[in-house]
Amino acid sequence: MVNRRDFGKISLAAGLAATMGRPAWAASAADAAVKAAQQYKGRSITIVWEAGLQSLDPTHFSGPKWKELTGMDVKVIEVATAEMFTKIMQDYKSGAGAYDALNVIPAWMPDLAQAGALEVLDPYVEKYGYAPELQTIASTFRDNQMKVGGKIYGFPDDGDVFLMYYRRDIFEDPTVQKAFKDKTGKDLAVPKTWADFDAVGAGLTDILKDKGIYGAAFFRQPPYAMYMFEERFRNEGGKFFDADTMKATINSDVGVKVFTGMRKENRFMPPGVEQFGFVENLATFLQGQSAMTISWPPYGRWAEGYGTDQEALNWVPKTAIAGKVGYALPPGGHPELAAGFALSISSTSKNKDAAYLFIQWLNSEDVSRQRVQLPYTLRDPFRESHYTDPGYLALWPNAKDYLAALKQASETGLLDLSLLQTDKYEEVMRQAISKLWAGDDPKAILNAAAAQWDDITQKIGVEKQKVVYAGWAAKSGAYPKI
Amino acid sequence: MAATAHPDRNFKYWLISPAIFLLLLIGLFPLIFSLVVSFMHVTMLETDTSFAGLVNFVQLFHDARLWQSFVHTAIVIVIALPIELLLGLAIAYLFLDRMPGRQILVSLLMLPTIISPIVAGATWRLLFDNRYGPINQIIGWFAGHPVPALWTVNPQLVYPAIIFCEIWQWTPFMFLILLAALSNVDRSLTEAAEIDGARFWRSFRYIVLPAIWPVMSIAILIRGLDLFRIFDIIWALTAGGPGTMTETVSVYAYVQGFRQFESSYTAAIAFLVIALLTVIVTWAIRRMGLAK
Repeated sequence: MVNRRDFGKISLAAGLAATMGRPAWAASAADAAVKAAQQYKGRSITIVWEAGLQSLDPTHFSGPKWKELTGMDVKVIEVATAEMFTKIMQDYKSGAGAYDALNVIPAWMPDLAQAGALEVLDPYVEKYGYAPELQTIASTFRDNQMKVGGKIYGFPDDGDVFLMYYRRDIFEDPTVQKAFKDKTGKDLAVPKTWADFDAVGAGLTDILKDKGIYGAAFFRQPPYAMYMFEERFRNEGGKFFDADTMKATINSDVGVKVFTGMRKENRFMPPGVEQFGFVENLATFLQGQSAMTISWPPYGRWAEGYGTDQEALNWVPKTAIAGKVGYALPPGGHPELAAGFALSISSTSKNKDAAYLFIQWLNSEDVSRQRVQLPYTLRDPFRESHYTDPGYLALWPNAKDYLAALKQASETGLLDLSLLQTDKYEEVMRQAISKLWAGDDPKAILNAAAAQWDDITQKIGVEKQKVVYAGWAAKSGAYPKI
Repeated sequence: MAATAHPDRNFKYWLISPAIFLLLLIGLFPLIFSLVVSFMHVTMLETDTSFAGLVNFVQLFHDARLWQSFVHTAIVIVIALPIELLLGLAIAYLFLDRMPGRQILVSLLMLPTIISPIVAGATWRLLFDNRYGPINQIIGWFAGHPVPALWTVNPQLVYPAIIFCEIWQWTPFMFLILLAALSNVDRSLTEAAEIDGARFWRSFRYIVLPAIWPVMSIAILIRGLDLFRIFDIIWALTAGGPGTMTETVSVYAYVQGFRQFESSYTAAIAFLVIALLTVIVTWAIRRMGLAK
């Protein structure tokens, strides 16, 4: 018997078959790329891709399909995220030209572009007629994650954004609603501000702790919590720098308030939440032990059990909450576009045209729609059409709500801070957060972090960094309009 | 006999020259290259590779984080090294006499040393995990209530966790070397001392220790140098945190070189470490009498 999930898969398969069988007269960007790439039959291109689930896309799906269509081999170099920047820079500095195409985290783009490691893509976009389809990428990604200094250096290819996931069954349970009202005098509702979040989280923990359910749980390991700080700090009105002096302002009252709040909230979260990473937090939510969490889009899919029957996802805990999950924007309404990926071309590549055609094909409307629905990879919707695709909408019963929340998040999302030598600033924040969990004074931590940021800025050059910061801050996704 | 029958006297040098060249290439070249880089402005993020003079070396003396990392390294050495030595010696004494299954037990004891330190660190991180790790569970059984000890987060617990892992992994190395040394001590001397009424400590102090000292001092030196370079276990357990509280010299050099891409400054740190270690090792070799 065909159930709803099977129906979803059949729809996806039909969609794939239909698109792959598109007639030649339909001149999409994907078709144009395939046609132009056929002259490179027999060549091999190399692409750097994040190791793990992400790279199953080119190894299992897009790579073999590209070979079938063009006769070109795709060699995938799997690199851990933390090493990707180094590997790309090493290849560029050595001039080896070992990589043709690259996956680049958008926040790295200014550094890589300034160093000269990335090829400017504008001439290729024009040559191969990709401009119209670039316009259909969701505006936040298109306007913020594609260009440096007005030139295209990468195609946004992953709609990473934080969403809030909550237990609809708990929020709609009359017994819990009554207990919450009796306890707080307020109606139980999905929080829209951090003050509400604190009240709801603490209240639900009090009411449900005996059943082994906490009001909320977050990933707290510094690399993840850093994104959450960046998001919350700006939602509360914080600015990273004084735009005139380039003095760091993370130690403002807003910063201290956010840091203090983050640590205080651990009290109503599961014991040891300070050690939670992506997987620990996922397991807690999927096993029904937390009523709210914030994370990247795969949480929403896996909570519904989508794709978790695949071998590649056998490490994902079995969901106990399928059909019980609701989706919302995190408190403040402006979620972090945490990390993400863009497709770029290495400036030292010896196969620039061939590599470009591959990334145009990957990123195109047709092919990207299939890729974001692959159950085993982690690419998330990033084009207008992805949010309304009938195949995606049919993947599970409330996929419509999931896609609607993602679409809304894509419209209001906040960019990761992206400056020259961004990772130096981020490293300071990661250390600051680990000190926060260790119990140090929030104000003292942030004062020290701000002083370290100022030192980094001084070393890079205040005027130089000021120009880059001004460019970043002028982007629509840099700061919310409060 | 004709003079031409004598072989070319320089021929032997020609024979060994490829090997010497290779050794110089892989041993000396990186050192010289690093020295050159330490006097330049090389970072992975800038195109400027101009001559920097002593800038990087002057920066070393103003870098509080670097000197803190030396202190953190010293803490690990000062605590872990004596414990590994004493524990290794005690276990070696236990295994000195024949006993059933001795060889199997020795092999089992050696297992931690054959594990890659980064794997050992990752494994201990799991064991110390508050949610899934067994260590807190076992402590909880004894305590009679759940113990949510955050071994890799809590400032009071991070050093004990790191040092415990280090001791677990490397005490067997001390044990094996000291067992070999103890096995070679002339038993008749200790037996004679025993007959003369010497107690264990006296016979150890005046007979056993002098006999095993050359081997023991080498073991101390090797482990001391290893501990100075400690990286993997710390990186896997705490990545130098909380903050920079457990950041050792190697961790700091890695962060500067491969996270911050400060190639020239990292080269300067490397040369500072080489200079310090040369002084310390020379002093230690003299103190331990190994130069004789």
